[in-house]
Amino acid sequence: MCFRRSKIAKVVAIAVVGLTTSCATYYQTNQSFNQDFERGNLESALATLQSDTKEANSKRQFLYFVNKGLVLSMMSRYEESNDYFEKAFLFGEDYRRNYLNEAASYLTNPNVTTYRGEDHEHLMLLYYKAINYLKVGNTEAALVECRRVNIRLQQLSDRYQNENKFQRDAFIHTLMGLIYEADKDYNNAFIAYRNAVTIYEEDYERLFSIAMPNQIKIDLLRTAWLSGFTDEFESYKAKWNMTDFEVSQTAGAEVIFFWHNGLAPVKAEWGINFVIDRRDNWVYFHNRELGISFPFSLEGYDKNEKDGLASLEVFRVAFPRYLERPQYFQGATISANGSEQPLMLLEDVNKIAFKSLQQRMHLELSKALIRVALKKVTEHQVKKEDKTLGSVLGVINAITEKADTRNWQTLPHSIYYTRVALPPGQSQITLKLNEGGRETTHDFTYNLTKGQILFHTFTSLESRYPNYGAFGANSYRD
Amino acid sequence: MRIVYFFIAAILISSCAQKVSRIDPGQQIDLSGRWNDSDSRQVAEKMTAELLNSPRYQEYAKELGKRPTIIVGLIRNRTSEHIDANNYIKKFEVAIFNSNVADLVESETFRDKLREERAQQQDFADPATIAQWGKEVGANLMLFGEMTSETDVLNKQSVVNYITTLFLTDMETNKRVWYAQHEIKKHIRK
Repeated sequence: MCFRRSKIAKVVAIAVVGLTTSCATYYQTNQSFNQDFERGNLESALATLQSDTKEANSKRQFLYFVNKGLVLSMMSRYEESNDYFEKAFLFGEDYRRNYLNEAASYLTNPNVTTYRGEDHEHLMLLYYKAINYLKVGNTEAALVECRRVNIRLQQLSDRYQNENKFQRDAFIHTLMGLIYEADKDYNNAFIAYRNAVTIYEEDYERLFSIAMPNQIKIDLLRTAWLSGFTDEFESYKAKWNMTDFEVSQTAGAEVIFFWHNGLAPVKAEWGINFVIDRRDNWVYFHNRELGISFPFSLEGYDKNEKDGLASLEVFRVAFPRYLERPQYFQGATISANGSEQPLMLLEDVNKIAFKSLQQRMHLELSKALIRVALKKVTEHQVKKEDKTLGSVLGVINAITEKADTRNWQTLPHSIYYTRVALPPGQSQITLKLNEGGRETTHDFTYNLTKGQILFHTFTSLESRYPNYGAFGANSYRD
Repeated sequence: MRIVYFFIAAILISSCAQKVSRIDPGQQIDLSGRWNDSDSRQVAEKMTAELLNSPRYQEYAKELGKRPTIIVGLIRNRTSEHIDANNYIKKFEVAIFNSNVADLVESETFRDKLREERAQQQDFADPATIAQWGKEVGANLMLFGEMTSETDVLNKQSVVNYITTLFLTDMETNKRVWYAQHEIKKHIRK
């Protein structure tokens, strides 16, 4: 009997372990795609995604959609790209927590739940979608994305009331301003730029050490003037000491140039050891290095469960953490018409990702602790009835203890931009990427019509993170 | 046992489906405290009532000797929210149209489209059916508006006062013929 039970236990153990775990992080399980993507082999990266059709219906479907959308966008296949970004958007709209999966995650690990996407990832997909539309000149469709992103921003600010949390996105407000400007709706563009200015001044400088790009000041003043808001125009001029600023009515065209530099951070697993201390009807989980302590009430638990928790001394909780992939290029400039202008930092996706995880760390740690505590209690109870089965469960628990390392890893590390005024007709600009004093240049030729605003993105996939792929000097894409 | 309860609860919760129901568009539902459909409706109703009962406007129409023709000009939004003024302006236009107090002519966006179509007709349409140039009705009055908001915030409370002002200005004299203002003040506690 005992033999049969232990055999069943082993089979169950193998099945559970096989279904719920693998030692690799999300990044490592997609090694082939990641290598191709990071080296700029976009055709191969896309082929890898296309060959893995199961992913579109998996618990990682959001990541499948956004990765495919981003790769197609980089390949200038904008319509197809937006089909996938739309799927990702609708996924976010229709997402409902599956409580059965959530419950299962407490007995295994959070990877059994559907990845819902980080707040900033849901904003970024709408950025890509809007830019795709703007590149093909469909301003009307870009405005739809603009309204959608506005609703997302409102949801974000309603969710987090704490001013120390990432609850307002200056970059997205700037993007909205640019879209409204492309539609010649200067009033709404002014509102968007003014909101961006407030957020750069109140949040970004304090939370992320990101200074407001000078370009936004110019854009705000220009749209205030074009909207007829002379009071606001004068007051911002005085505030920024730009008293000589005048709006020039150019008859030319303009290129709004976005530079996606580097790669967003990846999530890795981090084991935190907790020491247990039981006092009266409470157990306390401590970690001295991090200076954290979680009280856990035993009220309402039966004797077996209490004994199970009390028998613990030290245990390990798997928790995700971000690993930065530092930027390879430190800066860039654009030369046009004999003058050179820098590309200004608009959004540090890397810092925002770190901040997002940090601000919910307490909640995530509590969930992870409950998970491990539940596993241990079950193990203790089973062990009392059947030592072999209990031991097998112990092994399963140890193996299945795993952090959720999923995130959108094809995003850029940071986004820079500038606006280049050019005459109608054919013009050439030169992008200079700077890496430790060495320059890499790329030339672009545009055919512009009078009054046209052309949107252009350039992506540098190089990064300095040594463990995740080696990069050649030409791993970039237009 | 606790684990069993935990799973039963999870199964019960996960079996609940998303619900969608249609409700009366006039019903006031405030969720976030921001400008919403109820505010647009309130502004449109208030402004329409003001115009229909305005002695100054009636006097102007009487002096003109016909129904004045109105064109929608510029509605400025000075608030910090992206509010689409069309949401109440269109309701206002419908009320004017149905009440016969004024005629409406197309404003810039639609007018340009009409002119484009008229130009096409000159080349491609049956001459007997061609719309003629120079027959557009000139407006007597232009509608302008402005939205502003004042916000006071302390901790988790905020007070927002939205002020919507609309006015009709005579195209020839620049004289304001009608003027109306509506305030919506909200106290939001989070």
